[in-house]
Amino acid sequence: MYMIIPILVLIFSLFFAFVYPGLKLGIELTGGNVLIVRSSTELDAITIENLLKSEFDLTQVSVSTINSANSMGAYIEYSKDPKLIQAEELINSAQIAIDEERDNEAIGLSIQSIKLLSGKDESFTNPKVALAAAQDELLSANENFLDKMKSAIVNKFNLGEDVEFQIREISPTFGEASLVSGAYIAILALVLITIVIFISFRQIIPTVGIVQAMIFDVIVALAAMALLGIPISLITISALLMILGYSVDSNIMLTSRVLKDKTGVAGEKATRSLKTGLTMTGTTISALVVMIVISHFYQIEVMLQIGIVLLFGLLGDLVSTWITNVGLLIWFVEERKK
Amino acid sequence: MNPLFKHWRFLLVGFFLAISIGSLLFIGVTFGIDFKGGTLYQIELQKEVTPTEIARIANIIQQRIDPGKLRGDILSPVGGKYIMIQTAETNPTELEKIESRIRQQGKFEATLNGELLFTGDEIKRISRKDGYGVAKNGNVYGWNLPFVLNDEAAKRFAQMTFHECTAISFSPQGKPIYDCERTMFFLDRPNALIVLTEEQYDFDEQELLLGNTFLNIPQGTSIDEVIEDSRNAIIIYENGMDFNSIYLSEVLKSTDQAIVSPDLSEKAINDLNAAGFVVTKTKSAEGSPWLWDILNAKQIIRLSEGITNEDVADPSQAKIFTQLNISGSRESAEVAFQDLEELAILLESGSLPTPVKSISKETISPTLGTSFVSNIIMMGIIALILVASIIIIRYKTPLLAVPIIITLISETIMMLGILALLKQPLDLAAFAGIIAAIGTSVDSEIVIVDEMIGKARKEHLSLLQKIKEGLFIITTSALTMLAVMMPIILLSPNMPGISNLYGFAFVAILGSLIGVLITRPAFTKVIEMISDKVEKDKAKTV
Repeated sequence: MYMIIPILVLIFSLFFAFVYPGLKLGIELTGGNVLIVRSSTELDAITIENLLKSEFDLTQVSVSTINSANSMGAYIEYSKDPKLIQAEELINSAQIAIDEERDNEAIGLSIQSIKLLSGKDESFTNPKVALAAAQDELLSANENFLDKMKSAIVNKFNLGEDVEFQIREISPTFGEASLVSGAYIAILALVLITIVIFISFRQIIPTVGIVQAMIFDVIVALAAMALLGIPISLITISALLMILGYSVDSNIMLTSRVLKDKTGVAGEKATRSLKTGLTMTGTTISALVVMIVISHFYQIEVMLQIGIVLLFGLLGDLVSTWITNVGLLIWFVEERKK
Repeated sequence: MNPLFKHWRFLLVGFFLAISIGSLLFIGVTFGIDFKGGTLYQIELQKEVTPTEIARIANIIQQRIDPGKLRGDILSPVGGKYIMIQTAETNPTELEKIESRIRQQGKFEATLNGELLFTGDEIKRISRKDGYGVAKNGNVYGWNLPFVLNDEAAKRFAQMTFHECTAISFSPQGKPIYDCERTMFFLDRPNALIVLTEEQYDFDEQELLLGNTFLNIPQGTSIDEVIEDSRNAIIIYENGMDFNSIYLSEVLKSTDQAIVSPDLSEKAINDLNAAGFVVTKTKSAEGSPWLWDILNAKQIIRLSEGITNEDVADPSQAKIFTQLNISGSRESAEVAFQDLEELAILLESGSLPTPVKSISKETISPTLGTSFVSNIIMMGIIALILVASIIIIRYKTPLLAVPIIITLISETIMMLGILALLKQPLDLAAFAGIIAAIGTSVDSEIVIVDEMIGKARKEHLSLLQKIKEGLFIITTSALTMLAVMMPIILLSPNMPGISNLYGFAFVAILGSLIGVLITRPAFTKVIEMISDKVEKDKAKTV
């Protein structure tokens, strides 16, 4: 009967995480550009978006603002001017051409990218000199673009001295490589943890019980991330790994009490463990609430995200441990007696 | 004596606490980039290369962006395709310079008699196959570095070096012994006016005469030769003198930057400012002659009589060598190889052996300063009070709060202390690691309390059995923590993007080891004592 709850939670979570609204990948895993503005003046997302769209050739821009009692800020994700991207590609090809001793081609590509960036027509005889000139042009074009964006925002909102900018520019190829690394460590962690649990209990069903709980908790956390718009990033991946650690704690306690102590009725032992488990989860959740409230108040984005992801993972753990796993273990002990 | 202080478990905790507090006081926590601010670069190369090759590329980049390691940039290769750079720099102009130096070729120049001999752009390649390497030659080790110039430069080289050696005497076998001119190598020589005081000049003159093997300055180097060969605008400032305005306006045509020695007077700086220069006072790297360092002079190499066409009378008949060799000898194979590699890096810094494909960057503003630390401490204290209250209410034993709070605080101190001792930086990732470790620590403490005094107390089990059961739960939980974090530790040196998580995993593992091996044994003992007391109290009331 109770089993209907975990199944419903699982179905909804899977839907939220993978269908609608779906998980987002952070820019460190997809590549992209972010400009973070911090100031004491309140910023408005729509104004920034319109400002940037009208003044720059941006194919894509999205702005979100963070305004708390203590600090204000804006998080601007944008795609670079297509000219810059194109010039970068030309320069990369020129570099390869030099490497393979196709000098004329390298000179041609470099000249092309300089023309694209500055409109200047230049001529070179030495490919390395041409490439250096093209790279110079690209760098200053890049910096100019950023400078203009910053000063446009500063002027629009009349920001004072205390404004602070942070830049993140992640190349798509590097983002992709990081995503692969992230997936690798997550999968490897899951495999290793399963091995450790199996070696500790040396029985398949209890191992399955613990592993299902971990996966369930992570899925619930993913659903919460999708609903709250928290992207998958290296920070949230580490929070998801922490969920594995916490979820396993309560499950190991439960499994060990129900299985190792050969006396008594399984149900009674489970109830006793429930009290211990609730204390464990209760303390963690209360600490997390403190973390979430304070980091929201002081705009410590990283801590806030970790806190939220862990909180939902632990809420999921209440279901997966104390309904699913308890049911599984009691059934397993009864079967074993027969 | 209180039994608390006698038992080995408490001595162990005391010992580690003392070490940790000591290292926090005397070494101090190394704050990571999140606190100090800085910029993180992730460089992706065009293709995967061997470990030695990527180490070489990292060296070249290091040479170029932070010569002398003054700023303390940290470069770490990740696998065979990525290099991570951490720098404390956040100034956009400086960052642009760093990026251009990562991406672009270095401006390498070789000069002779104050004229340009060849540049890095004119080096076609270093021939790593024929003749490159170190060979034993009698009782010294000779190294040899062949490189190829393009035709234009090779022609210029033949003209400029023509008859630059003069026979000064004869060997016993009757062969002439030559004294040859020397070429000087520069990398990224600044495009700026250089002004140094007379005192600095005198000091540098002595230092250069003495020579410095570490900096590749041969003994007997004359400062005037360095000044001539640099082809740089250099002024030696006598106290109270006026600058020659005609000369300054001539220099201003090519640059408005001026680099001055640290001891230059205010008056001189004001005069330069008034003339239109942007003045930067710059110190030199420790132990280096100021001028040598500021000019980015790198090597002085003597020409050899084999290439100066001593046997040809007419300059127009001079033989043109496109392949040139630089050679030297050292007392050990190792040092010879170092010299060779260093020089090869210098000549190649024109362009990286494998070009850069993309640069990702992240600037981090040091907003996480002191307010962040105090916020975190506040967070910790409130969370601690809440956790302790829940446990007190649940087990109805207020005394329990003491060991729980002490344990959690000691664990945090030990984690921070050991981080300080190992000089591991404390950054956001490390904080996340502390949270992970403290979280599981609370879980384990509850299990221990529960096994021994909770309502779940199993009357039929002996104390030993109870401890054993608790121990099983705790060790398994710590092992799973290890299993989760190990992949990060193992993979982060080789896989891109996750190096930032290293600190997280490291601290989480450190925390769980401290818990299992140091604090929890003591905690168990204390709970045992409290449990006995509770039992006795009960017995009295009955």
